[in-house]
Amino acid sequence: MRRLLVLPTSRAGWGLLIAFLALVLAGTWPVIGWVNRATLVMGLPLLVVWSYLVIFACVVVMLIGNHIVERDDHE
Amino acid sequence: MNSPWPLLITLTYVAIAMVIGLRAKAGRSMNSLEEWGVAGRSMGPVTLYLLIAAGSVSAYTFMGAPGWAYSKGVAVFYVAIYLAYLALIAWYFGPKVWQFGEQFGHVTQASAIADRYQSPALGALAALVMAIGSIAYAVLQTIGSAYILFVMSGGLIPIWLGVVLVLACIAVYLYASGQRAIGRTNAFQGVLMLIVAWAVGLWAVHSATGGLSFAGVFERIQTEHSEFLTLPGAGGDMSFSFWTTSIIVSMFSFMPPVWTQWMSASSARTIRRSATWLPTYYVVILPMVVVGFIGIFSLPELARADTVVLEYAMQHLPVVLVGLLGAGTLAASMSSSEPFIHSVSLSLSKDVLQPVLKLSNGVTGKLARLLILPIMFLVVAPLAIAEPGSLVMILLVGLGFASQVLPAFIGMFFWPRASRLGVMAGIVVGFLITVAFTTLWPHPMGIHAGFWGLMLNLPVFVAVSLMTPATGAEVVERFFRIAAPRGFTQRGRRAVV
Repeated sequence: MRRLLVLPTSRAGWGLLIAFLALVLAGTWPVIGWVNRATLVMGLPLLVVWSYLVIFACVVVMLIGNHIVERDDHE
Repeated sequence: MNSPWPLLITLTYVAIAMVIGLRAKAGRSMNSLEEWGVAGRSMGPVTLYLLIAAGSVSAYTFMGAPGWAYSKGVAVFYVAIYLAYLALIAWYFGPKVWQFGEQFGHVTQASAIADRYQSPALGALAALVMAIGSIAYAVLQTIGSAYILFVMSGGLIPIWLGVVLVLACIAVYLYASGQRAIGRTNAFQGVLMLIVAWAVGLWAVHSATGGLSFAGVFERIQTEHSEFLTLPGAGGDMSFSFWTTSIIVSMFSFMPPVWTQWMSASSARTIRRSATWLPTYYVVILPMVVVGFIGIFSLPELARADTVVLEYAMQHLPVVLVGLLGAGTLAASMSSSEPFIHSVSLSLSKDVLQPVLKLSNGVTGKLARLLILPIMFLVVAPLAIAEPGSLVMILLVGLGFASQVLPAFIGMFFWPRASRLGVMAGIVVGFLITVAFTTLWPHPMGIHAGFWGLMLNLPVFVAVSLMTPATGAEVVERFFRIAAPRGFTQRGRRAVV
């Protein structure tokens, strides 16, 4: 078959893919190693604060994604 | 603790869940796979949000996660991160899976696999092996439920009776209302868990520090036991590689109940909206884990780490909160076991028994409902009562296998050239490696066994796919019109569809 692989077909799509990959990287090694310190931020361990930052960043990226998908009427 | 209130509150929760589950049927006939299996594809965004959220939060959140905090420290938060990543997965794949189901009539994950690769044998194989992990998961949750009833009754309800009671309650409303019961009860259980977790967490913090801020707890941990605040954790066994590979393997484990949940949505947009907000639910984990940290200095001699919240609650919290904790923990375990029992019954009927016995859709629909009874009482109940020591091993192997089905999904969403034999070869190799690296040589170099399996699975899948015939072009086009509605690309460049 001539067609190889499904990849994004627009700049917005590529941007979204990169954002998704960045989120995964933010919650795993090596990034997680940089926040692996026994310090407290707002009374919580840095690793916990970072974990919830990643979690809420997922919501923000998906909200942006909804905007892109619905703007393009792309179900 | 001699008060009857904890048991009364816990049993009241069970009664409410049963009423909600039975009423969910709302006069509909449940003998069709579409109704009993995927709720007539009718669930709105709020129900779906709570359905997925409550389904993914198991008794682990109320017992295991605080236990990990107590014994290992912040390493436990890898769970919160991978749950958020599962929302990303749901956001991207959920709408496409819904469209597959709506257009091609799929009601199970295995039927989608069988259709994409035009191989009922591959669908049946996927259904059977996914059932191993699913049943092991349901058994673990049932043991958790029975343990809660045992503790809340002060030992009056023995484990065997607790197992029978919990399964009987679930069986009644699952048989009556199927996926609609799971949706409604999970919505109730999801709200209950959130309220209970924060009420118990804040009360525990107040009793331990005199305030309501978590800072007091962590400042003391930082001073006295700072090893709990970083990886590899207090046990020294949570390395960066294990953290990372556990997240990646868990993220790509497309378990059958999740697939069923996606197909139960009223529209593709509903799934996307629910998935978007799903990570917000995982604030439920934080207060329970904080109680685990409190246990480090207030219950230093605890024999079993996963009882830390229950022990602390019984020693320091009012009886009403102890009862609510029992109800919340039971809700967590029931809301997670129901979808797994349901999906096993649905998939064995649709993807194994229907093609083998050449049954009609009508008969298969009735069979799916009835099959929950032998699954519950001849498989789940005896295993839960026996509490086999190898159960966690079965679960690990089962979940490790779940991620090995990844090639089937790559061929469904990204790579038209994927072949039936390529998927089968990848699964077999990945499964054998996962089993070996779980049982014989556990997690070499601190890397999750399932990740090792994937590292061999994927190249084998690609190589064998390229050497064997692809699925018919018509079938591939049918799937990829949904998977890639804006066209295929060659190395990122738009190609003509």
